[in-house]
Amino acid sequence: MSYIEVEGLRKTFTVRKKREKGKLFREKEIVEALKGISFTVEKGELVGYIGPNGAGKSTTVKILSGILTPESGKASVGGRVPWKDRKDYVKHIGVVFGQRSQLWWDVPIIDSFSLLKDIYKIPEKDYKVRLSELTEALSLEKLMRTPLRLLSLGQKMRAELCGSLLHRPELLFLDEPTIGLDAVSKLALREFLKWENKEHGTTIMLTTHDMEDIAALCSRVMVLGHGQKLFDGHLNDLLEKFDKVRTVSVKYDIGTPALKLPEGVNADQKDGEIRITYSPSELPTSNMLSILQNAGNIREMTLESENIDHLIAAMYKEMDL
Amino acid sequence: MLNTIHLYIRSMGMLLKSHLQYPASFFMQTLAQLVMEGGEMLAVILVIDRFENLKQWSGANLFFFFGLMSVSFYITEFFGRGITGNFPSMVRNGQLDTLLLRPRNVLTQVLCSGVDPRRISCIAVGVTAMIMGSNMSDVSWSFLKVLALIESVLMSCMLILGLFMIEGIFCIHSVKSVELVNALTYGGRSACQYPIDIYPRPLKILFSVVAPFAMTMHVPAAYILGKPLYGWPTWTVFVTPLSGIAVLFVMSMLFNKGIRFYRSTGS
Amino acid sequence: MRAYFSVFRMRLKMELQYRGAMIGGIICQMFFGIVLVALYHALYESKGQALPIEQVSTYVWLQQAFFRMMVATDPDLNDKIKNGSISYDLCRPVNLYWFYYIRIAAQKLMGSLMRGIPMMIVAFLLPKGWGMSLPASIPGLCSGLVALFLGLLCMCALENITMAFTMRTLDPRGMQSLLGLLMVTLSGNLLPLTLFPDSWQKVITMLPYAQLLDASIRLYSGEYPVSDLPVVLLRQAGWAIVLILLGIWMWESNRKKMIIQGG
Repeated sequence: MSYIEVEGLRKTFTVRKKREKGKLFREKEIVEALKGISFTVEKGELVGYIGPNGAGKSTTVKILSGILTPESGKASVGGRVPWKDRKDYVKHIGVVFGQRSQLWWDVPIIDSFSLLKDIYKIPEKDYKVRLSELTEALSLEKLMRTPLRLLSLGQKMRAELCGSLLHRPELLFLDEPTIGLDAVSKLALREFLKWENKEHGTTIMLTTHDMEDIAALCSRVMVLGHGQKLFDGHLNDLLEKFDKVRTVSVKYDIGTPALKLPEGVNADQKDGEIRITYSPSELPTSNMLSILQNAGNIREMTLESENIDHLIAAMYKEMDL
Repeated sequence: MLNTIHLYIRSMGMLLKSHLQYPASFFMQTLAQLVMEGGEMLAVILVIDRFENLKQWSGANLFFFFGLMSVSFYITEFFGRGITGNFPSMVRNGQLDTLLLRPRNVLTQVLCSGVDPRRISCIAVGVTAMIMGSNMSDVSWSFLKVLALIESVLMSCMLILGLFMIEGIFCIHSVKSVELVNALTYGGRSACQYPIDIYPRPLKILFSVVAPFAMTMHVPAAYILGKPLYGWPTWTVFVTPLSGIAVLFVMSMLFNKGIRFYRSTGS
Repeated sequence: MRAYFSVFRMRLKMELQYRGAMIGGIICQMFFGIVLVALYHALYESKGQALPIEQVSTYVWLQQAFFRMMVATDPDLNDKIKNGSISYDLCRPVNLYWFYYIRIAAQKLMGSLMRGIPMMIVAFLLPKGWGMSLPASIPGLCSGLVALFLGLLCMCALENITMAFTMRTLDPRGMQSLLGLLMVTLSGNLLPLTLFPDSWQKVITMLPYAQLLDASIRLYSGEYPVSDLPVVLLRQAGWAIVLILLGIWMWESNRKKMIIQGG
């Protein structure tokens, strides 16, 4: 049995629409956030969870951390069901939200930690050992007496990480942890996560929009879109699969001539510019160029480079996200 | 349980510390609260000046009632700030999620999340009014009367906290018309700072059954002020206030149910 | 001029959107009204007064009905002051005093009409002595309405003065609650001004806070005879001008300070 097992997880939300003119009451609309997601994660894995905004990433994290109850589907983490017996379950997990703090704003962070010790009922001896270990790994020693509000964004994130790992969770969720951080802080954060994962075997699930987080940390990546899982595997496999996609934009001197494109190649027109996405393995780039040249006098042409963000964008596009 | 109390006391200590990080602002606001509550008391003084009595209650008695309500209400706001003030914004800005991630009861954590020490000046006004009222009414204090007073204040606090929880439950269900609940909390305070038996029957029933201020405040106060208790035996004075903790208990259950609803519908 | 007009219209529309909150607010306000009327009935049973109880009830109901006009502040503006983005506004080319004056006026007008009218209808239906009585006379009603309009002008001017204070002090909450207290006490919301000691009334009715609602209610119920109308209106108009001038001066000096300090 795997550490995390998720099967057919579904979640819908009722959204109240804005009241239309002339109607007395607002209408309700049901939005499917998750349409039956299944996956497994082994203990000690470091998994990246990506997808465009509104794909259902946060909903999954919220369900797996026991905040939300799904409509249907099964999930177990270390043999426990997250939404059953919340108090017992959350002892074993830690969660960091990139844009939300769980520490106290106006007090020195050491006081926050000590209160968390009481909340999680951590034994004094264990707390001391763990705290000194974490403060060293996160270089927080000099900041312990500073109130949270006076810390920089990067320092805050380090303090948050320390706070959420004090009770030695087996599983750590990170929801966009690097958002807004500078390059140095990002690198330090990644180093720390690698260390925690290796040293303590903590399973880490990370949602992010920063592909470099994934590249640096995660051996495995899951792609979510429209509430469905679209890809699950090694990052390199994902890249290879979508590296096939090239995008070429052309502008002609006179208007936009009709192109004789083979089947399966998409072209969009906008403001006199034609954007074509194609896969070089099916249609060699030289062939593509001759098709374009035969159609008229080319004024401008760009062939987009396959950097990681573009690949993801192309993938989202192909998956119709 | 012991651990929970320890946690509450520690949280309170920490929050007080953080309030005192801004001493000038704290002082100004405490002063403003004092003036506000002084204004409320002025209204009572002017009423007594014009009307002298309120049915069988003397003006001095009215001061006592006013003081009892102020003390109870503002002790609740002092120590229960998490429920009486912060909760709606905690739901809105997602802090409630953070509380759900910790292995403790949500209600306990909400209570641990706020304290309002500025209310100390309002409590002081209430105590002054109570002392004034009891001196002017020539109350002869006995051990039993002190006990009745302490129980009354404690139970009234429980009741007020319970009533504010209704607002919290409304918030979870994302109903925006919280003002409605203010009728019970702030409306209850305004109405029940006077003896409740002066009101017409529907209001009497409302304040004996739904929001039983009559049970937690009126009955013990009548006993302390030496008024006949409608023919009831003295021991009832110590039983009726318990309705305060009953209301709190029921509301806590509903609140926990409400949290479960939140978890199944999401934000 | 057109900018001010469209601000006015926009705020009217915005105020119309909060219907859910409005119903809750009306019920809450009705409850306060009933409790107060019941209290005064009990007090009257103990010691009758020269002022008939019907007038006290009418006073209470009108105060509750127009509560929104007195107490509600503009939350947007408060937020702007708190987070400091008001300093951008202060450097804009429009005359900010009037810009916010109009905004507040629209909000108060619409808010109090939306809440006040349903409440007054219910209050008329209550049994005699408990609900609202008819106006003393038709001229009384008309002069009350004129006075209400002038009261609204004073009200918005006062609100702007509060805002100006808020912008100055580092900690606005203390100042706001002090001014709020003056408002609820001296305008007759906490206790009808007609029940204040008679000697106090002579002074209090001269103060700006009494011009907001008290003057209008007294004209409505006939406490001020219609022949007093010119004096009352003159007093209101005088205060309105003074308060507006004071507000303009305060906003202007805030603006200068803001520009010098650079926010």
